[in-house]
Amino acid sequence: MCGIAGLIDTTLPSQALPDTLLDMLGTIAHRGPDGLGYVVGDDWAMGAARLAVIDIESGTQPLGDPSGRFWLCYNGEIYNYRELRADLEAQGVVFRTHCDTEVVLAAWMTWGEECLPRFNGGFAFALLDRRERRLVLARDRFGKRPLFYARHGSAFMFASEMKAFLAVPGFAFEQDPAQLASILGQWTPLPDQTGFRAIQALPMGEWLSFDKGGLERHTYARLAFPDGPAPASEDEAKELIRQHLEASVALRLRSDVEVGVYLSGGIDSAIVALLTRDISGRPPATFSVAFDDAALDESAEQQVMAAHLGTRHDTLRVSHEDIAAACPDAIYHAEVPAFRSAFIPMFLLSRRTQECGIKVILSGEGADEAFLGYDLFKETLLRCQWNDIDDDTRRRRLARLYPHLDHYGPQDIAALTGLYQQFSREQMPGLFSHELKFQNGRFSARLIKDAGDPFAAISALVAEHGEMAAMSAVQRAQWLEYKTLLPGYLLSTQGDRAALSHGIENRCPFLDQAVVDLASTINLRFDDGFEEKRLLRQAFAGRLPESIVNKRKFPYRAPDAAAFAETRPVYLELVQSESELAKLPFLDVNFARRLTAKVLTRPAAEISTKENQTFLFLLSIALLHRQFVSRDGVAGHETQRALPPLVRAVDLRGVV
Amino acid sequence: MDKIRAFIEDQFLVEFDESFPEDINLFKEGVMDSFGYVQLCRFLEKEFAITFTEAEMTGNVLVSLTQIRETVERKLARSGEEPA
Repeated sequence: MCGIAGLIDTTLPSQALPDTLLDMLGTIAHRGPDGLGYVVGDDWAMGAARLAVIDIESGTQPLGDPSGRFWLCYNGEIYNYRELRADLEAQGVVFRTHCDTEVVLAAWMTWGEECLPRFNGGFAFALLDRRERRLVLARDRFGKRPLFYARHGSAFMFASEMKAFLAVPGFAFEQDPAQLASILGQWTPLPDQTGFRAIQALPMGEWLSFDKGGLERHTYARLAFPDGPAPASEDEAKELIRQHLEASVALRLRSDVEVGVYLSGGIDSAIVALLTRDISGRPPATFSVAFDDAALDESAEQQVMAAHLGTRHDTLRVSHEDIAAACPDAIYHAEVPAFRSAFIPMFLLSRRTQECGIKVILSGEGADEAFLGYDLFKETLLRCQWNDIDDDTRRRRLARLYPHLDHYGPQDIAALTGLYQQFSREQMPGLFSHELKFQNGRFSARLIKDAGDPFAAISALVAEHGEMAAMSAVQRAQWLEYKTLLPGYLLSTQGDRAALSHGIENRCPFLDQAVVDLASTINLRFDDGFEEKRLLRQAFAGRLPESIVNKRKFPYRAPDAAAFAETRPVYLELVQSESELAKLPFLDVNFARRLTAKVLTRPAAEISTKENQTFLFLLSIALLHRQFVSRDGVAGHETQRALPPLVRAVDLRGVV
Repeated sequence: MDKIRAFIEDQFLVEFDESFPEDINLFKEGVMDSFGYVQLCRFLEKEFAITFTEAEMTGNVLVSLTQIRETVERKLARSGEEPA
């Protein structure tokens, strides 16, 4: 794993370029603590901070081809690199290292952009063709690894994390109210959004080229849900699930360092841990987060699973104080507004994992999107049917969807029925599945004054993807999850950014194209989808404890506003003081003030989900403003660390 | 009846004015969600000693302050006509 950064067509004096680039890499050195490397030309420079995982000795970056024409800065892992290498060798390519970085370079030189769909893994890279003076950026199909780019005067710059741009002389961050409203509305950034003006994220499944002709973006992988023939029977489906996941985990165990597993307490990470043990032949090191609040804590299941596999298990108990204390650092790493605090314990867990000497972990991320694990999918199914079913059927299905309804009286069921009635017909084209969920977002978007329609950008995105018209309502719901919550929060704020803040590389066996495709041919073919991930659970039923197999989806959450209300960290002044709030001219200060007063003074039980969510958004926007825009309170986390050693410096200034 | 307005303003962090009129659909504005809806119904039932039938709650009547007020007034008037 690595952090990469660079700039081209810069007017900075060439003698300043190495230092500027090292400063950029220094801001993201947490991603690659094992060594820095750069290559510099007259008006360009690029480099990488490397976390050595495969071919530790010779995988130094940047990597050039023997002619010196191509230079590659690469972040990520291509798990099928051995197979690709064999294909390339069959075409006469000679390799100098055993590192996947060299396979990426050779693949591009041999196949051009046609290499991208062949890559199975999480990656983002920058490749400079010096002869054509063309810079290429590319990113994996699910958005596992980040890549941001920005224009700055005549220069084009890129980096794994936006904070690298803090080191570019003259570059200023500015929050974009329209983007913020959109982010608040749909809970997460869209694939190209960052929350900052002039900085864009390269969307998943895309590559771009930048040369004297300008900037061009291309899509190489479109998200689709192939409706191929279903397996002949449930037994065959379960066998295929096992085979595909075994293959996916085996690929992701390719590493020259030990691989651990994050155990959440749920079925998905349990499957990953089980397969890791069975394939590697020994129990892995496992890591979990625990909370004092019983409503959030899953440590009982985590312990059961760890004992079942005999893993070396490490539990990090996270308190309200821990969350409040780590929040500014965790937000600094996340770089985008966050709707809940659950990424903060993951930020702390990566620190613990690093202390235990583990560099790579596997997790269950992606299973809910592929195998329909979220209530959102069931709600979508029910809302689609709503106007065609009678009251009794409605009540029965609601009871299956919300088993806890038994505890409530008929009035609550009536209230829920009223809500479904409101949302039984599509009101926002293409967004039917998410209209109910987006109600919280509409509330949050009220933070932004005169925001306009917070759903304009996502509506435009959906309209650009005509292929969605042929999808079922549930597939459209999946599509939206794969474009919003998964890449915009789970894989980034709570995934890559949280893990790499302490040099931990996270890998996701459920986010393998073959697994996702298989799930598409199985979902809703053997059941009605109301028992979430039924076949996935059953596929491993005999090999996992019953309490894990039968556990209902338990959303991973952490204490939200209550953690801040209880501990009152000093930085709450950012959302409480009039003069601090005035620094965010795009805020609806009246709403922000009412919200903050309520959230920080009322008992936690009186604070609704959307109020918690909106408070976390407000706090993170204010912290990001301080850290990136006014730069008067940059988190201390980075600055206390020594820079990794410089292991490669290639100077091509004055070289034609 | 101003109690209803005060309750909604406090619970949903809104201020009714010309830009946020009393007949605005609170669901569609993202002001009210299922959690808030249950809270609102509980409040009305307790405050005015009335009960809502399922049909009343699902019949698109409790979506704006104006509609809520009218519904409550109607129910109060009706309960006044009927012997206890």
